[in-house]
Amino acid sequence: MLATVLTLIGRRVLLSFLILFIVSVLLFIVLRALPVDPAAMSLPPNATVAEIEAKRHEMGLDLSLPQQYLIWLSHAVHGDLGNSIQFRRGVLGLVASTLPATIELAVLAMLVASLLGLAGGLALFHVRGTAKEPALDLGTVILLSLPEFLWALFFILVVGVALRWLPFTGRIDPDMRLPVTTGFLLIDSWIAGRPDIFRSAIEHLILPSLALGIAFSPAIMRVLRSSLIDVYQEDYIHLARLRGLGEKHILIRHALKNAILPTLSLMGVQFGFLFGGTLLVELIFSYPGLGNLMVDAVRNADLPIIQAVGLTYCIVVLSINTIVDSLYVILNPKLRLQ
Amino acid sequence: MAARALTSLPPWLRSGRVLIGLTIVIALAICALLAPQIAPHDPNEQNLLTTFLPPAWMHDGDRAYLLGTDSLGRDVLSRLIYGARVAMMVAVFASFGAMIVGATLAYVAGYFGGRVDALIGRAVDVWMSFPPVILSLILMVGLGIGLRNVILAIILVDWTRFCRVMRSEVLVIARKDYVAAARLLGFSHARTIASEIVPATVPLLITLLSLEMGVAVIVEALLSFVGMSVGAQTPAWGQMIADARQYIYDSPWGLILPILAIFLAVFGFNILGDGLRRTLDVRVTAQRT
Repeated sequence: MLATVLTLIGRRVLLSFLILFIVSVLLFIVLRALPVDPAAMSLPPNATVAEIEAKRHEMGLDLSLPQQYLIWLSHAVHGDLGNSIQFRRGVLGLVASTLPATIELAVLAMLVASLLGLAGGLALFHVRGTAKEPALDLGTVILLSLPEFLWALFFILVVGVALRWLPFTGRIDPDMRLPVTTGFLLIDSWIAGRPDIFRSAIEHLILPSLALGIAFSPAIMRVLRSSLIDVYQEDYIHLARLRGLGEKHILIRHALKNAILPTLSLMGVQFGFLFGGTLLVELIFSYPGLGNLMVDAVRNADLPIIQAVGLTYCIVVLSINTIVDSLYVILNPKLRLQ
Repeated sequence: MAARALTSLPPWLRSGRVLIGLTIVIALAICALLAPQIAPHDPNEQNLLTTFLPPAWMHDGDRAYLLGTDSLGRDVLSRLIYGARVAMMVAVFASFGAMIVGATLAYVAGYFGGRVDALIGRAVDVWMSFPPVILSLILMVGLGIGLRNVILAIILVDWTRFCRVMRSEVLVIARKDYVAAARLLGFSHARTIASEIVPATVPLLITLLSLEMGVAVIVEALLSFVGMSVGAQTPAWGQMIADARQYIYDSPWGLILPILAIFLAVFGFNILGDGLRRTLDVRVTAQRT
């Protein structure tokens, strides 16, 4: 049995690497179609044509596209993703210093989305067939119509500007300093024994993660509701009722356990979208993560950064999907038997 | 009375949701089409003497500027009305484009199955490994700003939404007896798909189309928020938000109004799609009557 599970998971991991390879090729092609010249951009504006040509040669831009790609790939597998044109530093370092912030935000937002999704899904299921159903249903349509960046702006207006309850720029108060160990502020502040910084980091995370989490919760609510409705059609629910079990017991011990699987697999897909959603939320809250690095790079046509950050998003999404799929195999006894 | 009025309508319209959705969408479409006639001012006309005016019903409001003015003294109402043009153009063209690409691939994958299906499925996997926001942003970097490129970028990102959902539907339909019967009658593959499979998927197609229009409005808004959409000369809702965000303390209305406009448009498309899903789905309708 363990062997089949491992084979399934192994196949999934292999597929992820294949997808990553294809994505990197596509990304390379799209970014090379740009009408900008990275060589000219990395030189001062008064550089001569000959100097630009020399730089193009140095950067390998005079080679064919497949050759350029292979050179890039061989550097990339050695951990060298090139240098940023505007910051003149290694791209990998820039990504490594911003990724933890984004992961912190995404994980907290996913927690918010899961809790709201679970509560909302149970509430929707609870009111099925009653007079309250249309109203709650309308509520989910309204939630679905509010993307994360509108929530972000709304929270800034109401909680940040009008009520002044919570901070809404950056990761911690600007006068706080903390040595970087892992890059995750919530972990580093514990290591350094600084509860004040931990608190500040949490306060700065509340609004962004709420904005992102609320926006992604309605999809989870709806799937949980419909899978609960499906599960309740099954014979074992009727049998449980005949055995005299209480409705609450049936819901929690029998139905929810089975309805959670399809919900889990949707949450994997949702996490991918949510991880992309961090971009806008980071931008609006001036939160120094991957998203701000990306937008900055896009505005300045800093190709090495765009390429590396694009790939980083892709790697994170693929890893999440692989983990969720593996969990699905481990948790679902039907798949294990095959 | 209201109930009788509702039953005199064709079946697919017999739903409060569909009617609310259609009302909002048609109102926005009229704004978009007749923007030059409706808008009280030129959306780009600046008046530096009257900046940050609040809406007319507020204390310092001015009747000439119903919803107030922005940081350059431009009329917010006129900019919202003109902004509907970009939003509706993108909603219509991008979602039809995404539908044509996604649905065609879904018909091919679901009908032929086997290797073709596996290939298209892998392509969807590759696309799905990219968060849509990031992919659209990268495509806009490659394509350059402009209305046509925004539409193209959304098509290139969102075709998978149609393909994923339609494929499983087509898989089921393609195994039905009447499809086999059509083949036995000597119909070609193309004719079988066009005359037997496509009609069976129209309800789903219309629902997905309506929902995708909402998604397209959101994507355009966030691209123009980042400054990677139609460019500064054309008024767009996302761009209005980006401008107003810098003056949040001077004029919160400049931020609230475009947020409401985006919400209204997306809500209109979503509630329409949700209503159509119920009224067009034969299974749901049959249960109800």
